[in-house]
Amino acid sequence: MSEDRTLEYLLERELRVVNSYVAAKRKTLTELLKEDYPHVLTLSGDIHMFRKSELMLAKEVVGEDAEKLMLPIYVELIPAQTITTGVVREELATKLISALLGIDHATPLYVYPVQLAELRRKIGTLIQYVVSPEVLKEVRDYEEI
Amino acid sequence: MSQQMLRLARPTKIEFIRLRRRLATARRLHRVLRDRLLILTQELVALYREVVEHRLRIHEEIVKCERELIRVSSYVAPWTFEEFSNIRVKSFSVVVGSRIVAGVKLPLLEHEVIEGRYDPTAYPITLKEVSECYEDLVKRIIRLAETEISLLEVGREVQKVKRKVNALENLIIPRLRATIKYLRMKFEEREREDKIRRKRIKQILSRKARI
Repeated sequence: MSEDRTLEYLLERELRVVNSYVAAKRKTLTELLKEDYPHVLTLSGDIHMFRKSELMLAKEVVGEDAEKLMLPIYVELIPAQTITTGVVREELATKLISALLGIDHATPLYVYPVQLAELRRKIGTLIQYVVSPEVLKEVRDYEEI
Repeated sequence: MSQQMLRLARPTKIEFIRLRRRLATARRLHRVLRDRLLILTQELVALYREVVEHRLRIHEEIVKCERELIRVSSYVAPWTFEEFSNIRVKSFSVVVGSRIVAGVKLPLLEHEVIEGRYDPTAYPITLKEVSECYEDLVKRIIRLAETEISLLEVGREVQKVKRKVNALENLIIPRLRATIKYLRMKFEEREREDKIRRKRIKQILSRKARI
């Protein structure tokens, strides 16, 4: 296989992996709480399960908004930053996260590495990291070379 | 090593365009892989910390539960002990699921305890405390198992992704850059030569015209 084809093949495979763990259909917190084994299906066909204790914790925080809170929550990683910084863009998700982290509520909410670690410890199965769509765009800077 | 160039059959413009496209693909791949590596590394560090914490806590809890057990067994008859342990928990099951982190499938173990029906006044309260202590211990051990397997899986993936990122960063991209640079210089040189040749021809022609 030529180097060209190898690179294309690797890129295609990586892009497939990047998108594969995104849920095919997200569910609301209320729906998940009713299930015996709360889970969603990913695009690759795998099962992503949620921990019941974490769902209960989320329910305590959001209260009546549980019907609107869609899970899993996507934490988008920003590639331009030198340190891993995540951003949450959904209103209800930011409400939950800011309450759990004890920070001011804002939309979009920027989450820094220390906070990401804490978030992972508290609601690790409820969040999923997504690579920012910016990264998936065509790199234009080769024109400069 | 990193500044080596690719072997080119012919230094042509088409080759130059092809190389630039290849470099763009390589850089795009590099960015995607680097982001994935970032997520995985963070997960790895968090899992490692969790494993250490769980192990320490398990050691502490084993000591605590054993101490409680010895204390209780000094005033509770062995048959009461056995009877209580039989009725205290009706069933204890572990559900094995999975969760996906950055494309890596990790195990998720959830325990389910169904408490048995019994008269709490018939047994000393310390007996219940001991059984709860052991229940917590088992739960923690299940969590440790989950975390340790996840740590191994993530570690393996980090190794794979890191190798690819390093290859791109230190080998493929620098080689492509060096080759593109070489080609660009070659074309510039060719252009300069052409320019000089044209000037020279012009001079010769004008000299001939004067004669």
